[in-house]
Amino acid sequence: MHQLERVTNLLTLLLSARRHITFEEIRNELRGQYPEGKEAARAAFERDKAVLRDEGVPIDQVTLSGQQAGQTGYRVLRSAYEIEDFGLTPEETAALRVAVGTIRLGTNWAQEALWKVDLAPGDDQVESASIAVELPIDERLPLVHRAIAERRCVTFVYRTLERRLEPWGMLARDGWWYVIGYDHGHGERRTYRLDRIDGGVKIAGEATVEVPSDFDPRTVFPSDPKLLPDAVDVGADDAIVRVDASDAAVVLHQYGDEAVVERHDDGSIDVRVPCSNVQAFVNWLLGFVERAEVLEPAPLRQLVVEWLSETAGTP
Amino acid sequence: MKRPANRPINIRLRRLLVMLPWLQERGTVSTHEMAAHFGVGVDDLVADLTLASLCGVSQDPRDLIDLYVDGDEIHFGLPKYFDRPLRLTAPEAFSLVVSAAAARSVPGSDPDGALASAIDKIAAVIGAERVTGLDVEVDVPDGVDELREAVRRRAVIDMQYWSPETATTTARTIAPFEVFSEGPHWYLRGFDLGRDAERTFRLDRIESWVDTGRTDTRPISTRRAWFEDADDVREVSVLIDAGWLWVLDQYPVIESTSIDDGRVRVRLVVTSDRWLERLMVRLGTHGAIESPDELRRLGADAARRVLARYERT
Repeated sequence: MHQLERVTNLLTLLLSARRHITFEEIRNELRGQYPEGKEAARAAFERDKAVLRDEGVPIDQVTLSGQQAGQTGYRVLRSAYEIEDFGLTPEETAALRVAVGTIRLGTNWAQEALWKVDLAPGDDQVESASIAVELPIDERLPLVHRAIAERRCVTFVYRTLERRLEPWGMLARDGWWYVIGYDHGHGERRTYRLDRIDGGVKIAGEATVEVPSDFDPRTVFPSDPKLLPDAVDVGADDAIVRVDASDAAVVLHQYGDEAVVERHDDGSIDVRVPCSNVQAFVNWLLGFVERAEVLEPAPLRQLVVEWLSETAGTP
Repeated sequence: MKRPANRPINIRLRRLLVMLPWLQERGTVSTHEMAAHFGVGVDDLVADLTLASLCGVSQDPRDLIDLYVDGDEIHFGLPKYFDRPLRLTAPEAFSLVVSAAAARSVPGSDPDGALASAIDKIAAVIGAERVTGLDVEVDVPDGVDELREAVRRRAVIDMQYWSPETATTTARTIAPFEVFSEGPHWYLRGFDLGRDAERTFRLDRIESWVDTGRTDTRPISTRRAWFEDADDVREVSVLIDAGWLWVLDQYPVIESTSIDDGRVRVRLVVTSDRWLERLMVRLGTHGAIESPDELRRLGADAARRVLARYERT
């Protein structure tokens, strides 16, 4: 017997049971499907239960009294198993289909969800989406979201340090996911990029700090990473960068003509670019390799020169 | 179709539990239609449904799941066990809400339309707190709509494309497949008619484009990892300090493993030296090329070139 067949039989049994049933009763009903020996049968039953639970089947488990006192009884309540009726109209279901086709989360969860809510016969063709938005998620995101919903703390490692955060909200911006909340280590509000968290996220303890009533994830941190506050202070929030003619169009595309401070005869331009987050700025600047250089402020230029000297000295 | 050996039991069960109520809604359906809807092979579908038809609380035929496969058709009889799909799991509910919220914020969609009411209805059932607390901004740059329209028409376009590797602009003729975003950037994927190969282009590097008036209806391929369409790829192994992995955001990582000294060994696919150079200069002393040997000095050499520029001014 294939395990899938046995698990399916077990589920039909648990769903049909009018009361909690014991392992012995299950074994008797599914005669010949579990191994002969009691221990082997028990182990197989545990594996089957784990498969069902991993799929989200709500197995209700109680300790029985009366004649079966002390034994564990199992049952799946149909009301807890079955998906609720959301009462979606065909237009709403169709809109969800387009949404799931357009937004690529890098997992199959949204598609699985759609199959469950999109059962009604009818036109289920979706025009192949000519546009797609990548918004990768992983198992940490639903967990952080749960912590937000339940007002719990989360712990995780970020840039090698253990953090404890009371998450207030999540925001997807520029294709990345951010979590914003009260950071216990810093004693203030902080923003973290979820994909940069090293390893897993754990839910740990109740939240204690009130979420500010005017909290809005869209306004609490700037959209250009070069504007994020940083530990390095170079004495200015803007830098002047000279960009070669070959790369000028790309920079103008990004910052617009209003950023231009000076245009040179050879086609190169001097542009004003935000630099209050020095690390993000340097990362952006070095993307041009030798086709751009920072002119001002002097401390920032010095910092870039030091960075390059150290890099050049690497064996 | 060849059946892949040992499809995982959890996936087969998950699929079965949603396929049975779907089938019940329809009564009779073709194997091909059902296989296509659930993205499984016909053989796998028939194998799993046949197995399901042997399941029930007992082996009495009256207790078995009532369905049979007859040639190309599947027939469903009396409902017994799986009238409704299993409740949404937390990741499924989260993902569906994220998809709806994101699609709603794509310019051109009606923010108060069917998606909004779908989210409201889902929230009313699973709890508003499982729907709020997340927000999605989708920033679609100017010009995406026109390109998207060209993709929809299957129009062949002529474009001027700037390449960061060579810092030059070239004329390309493209049969576009799709416009997509990844991280902060938007891309056009299509068939490069001049180079006779599939290519992916960054939208902010397309200086201009025009519709040629021709169309091209070649089948749209599924997207592969984006570096696979490059001409010349090689694999590079880089050692990176643990706190500096963020620099890798936009680089195609094959695999990364932590090593004993606290650094991380990252295997990357590299399409050009220029491109690897950018990464190594950005990493500075926090990264080192481990292999291939001949590239070890790439970052230092590039840094020296940039330094030369700073020494001139």
